[in-house]
Amino acid sequence: MPGDIKDLYRQVSLAWYFALSDTYARYKHSVLGPFWLVLSTLIGIGGIAFIWGTLMAADSETFVPSLGIGLVLWQMISGSVSGAAKLFVFQATVIKNIKTPSWRLSLQLLFQQIINFAHNLVLVILLYAIFPHTLSPLILLAIPGFVLVLLNLYWVVQLLGFLGARYRDFDPLVTAVMPLLFFMSPVLFRGHELGSRAFLMKLNPMSYWINIIREPMLGSVPHFSDYLVSIAMVIVGSALAMWVTRAKSHRLAYWV
Amino acid sequence: MARVSLDKISVEYPIYNAGAFSLRNNLVAIGTGGRISAEARHIKSVMALEDVTLELNDGDRLGLVGHNGSGKSTLLRTIAGIYQPVRGSVEVEGRVSTVFGLGAGLQPELSGYDNIIRMSMMLGATRAQAEAAIPDIEDFSELGNFLAMPVRTYSAGMSMRLNFAVATASYPEILLVDEIFGAGDAEFQVKAQKRMNEFVEKASIFILASHSEQLIKKFTNNTVQLRHGRIM
Repeated sequence: MPGDIKDLYRQVSLAWYFALSDTYARYKHSVLGPFWLVLSTLIGIGGIAFIWGTLMAADSETFVPSLGIGLVLWQMISGSVSGAAKLFVFQATVIKNIKTPSWRLSLQLLFQQIINFAHNLVLVILLYAIFPHTLSPLILLAIPGFVLVLLNLYWVVQLLGFLGARYRDFDPLVTAVMPLLFFMSPVLFRGHELGSRAFLMKLNPMSYWINIIREPMLGSVPHFSDYLVSIAMVIVGSALAMWVTRAKSHRLAYWV
Repeated sequence: MARVSLDKISVEYPIYNAGAFSLRNNLVAIGTGGRISAEARHIKSVMALEDVTLELNDGDRLGLVGHNGSGKSTLLRTIAGIYQPVRGSVEVEGRVSTVFGLGAGLQPELSGYDNIIRMSMMLGATRAQAEAAIPDIEDFSELGNFLAMPVRTYSAGMSMRLNFAVATASYPEILLVDEIFGAGDAEFQVKAQKRMNEFVEKASIFILASHSEQLIKKFTNNTVQLRHGRIM
């Protein structure tokens, strides 16, 4: 029905407008604005590359691009996941006063993370300028990977949003688990470097997401299994998120 | 044609105490078969509306009266689609606008103009509609150059002017109002009343929840008394 499509368009553009305007508001009085985020990522990359690079005696030609892109992706993934559990609670005034589909609020969080990611792309360009050999036509393969990761993040945000609204312990729990997930994800290393402990990485869903975007950006083809797992997660996760949304949407206004 | 039809609806409010919100208590309850902390999982609920039947058509102006907690706001939120009844059916035809929780979407760091767009869009306008409403809001709010300043610099009265101007800038078919009068200086009060008159006249269906007999008399042609969630 055209009415439904019109409403869908309205909700999506509302989410986009609010994501942009919130980002703008957050950095209104600062000189660097959203580029503070870029700077903090840059400091992270620099610091880790310097210390970790020495510790592991890594070859900076391969280590730095891998770390840099990994950290930029981690920012987007962890930003979405950490923001999810408190999302609906933060938006309580809106949920309680205006008929608001919960999926639009999740979309808004995801849009915000995409905007942040777009800023961080400056760093990716910088990395390619310093290490031009990493760039190859394979980078185009990162696009379907990126789409798959966004689809995954979307259901995660929606599901954690409901869980966080119902159980207030969820938000601190997510915050507590995130550092562990960071060490279990291939940001500081690449999967094959882990040897016999590689299974640890495979337990972390985020590893697959980082692989399917980063490997093509570093000039290699991701494992077929990385795609397979990511697609399976989209299917199962979305079904779960849809089920929760359907079953619990009418309770959300009472929870927050 | 606008229509609001409630057929024997009941709305139940779950009351979650701190225990019910805690994951630990829920896990303990699972682990112990629910015996030890049976209390933690017990969620009380309050019957906020019971067996309410209401039929409104074009031209109806309904006043809701009743004590605090009698269910007026819950009824408005149910018609707006925010709460869903546990029993009975709600049918609403027509574009609904709510004038409660004024200022949803307000971002104090941004200018008055930016916030006009944000709040209008939140209330259901498209970006283009929101921009088209700016001259009218400028005119009505009389905030002048302040509209270009961040809203956090506004006084309470000025914020109220902005919120009120935005909320009444578009004309909905079904208008739900929950006690919003009483802000702003005397001069603005007169203006707001006048604007409210136009606003109410243009709506097909108007429902006002208020404790003020005077307002109810002025704006509505029918009243419903709520007591403990039932229509008296």
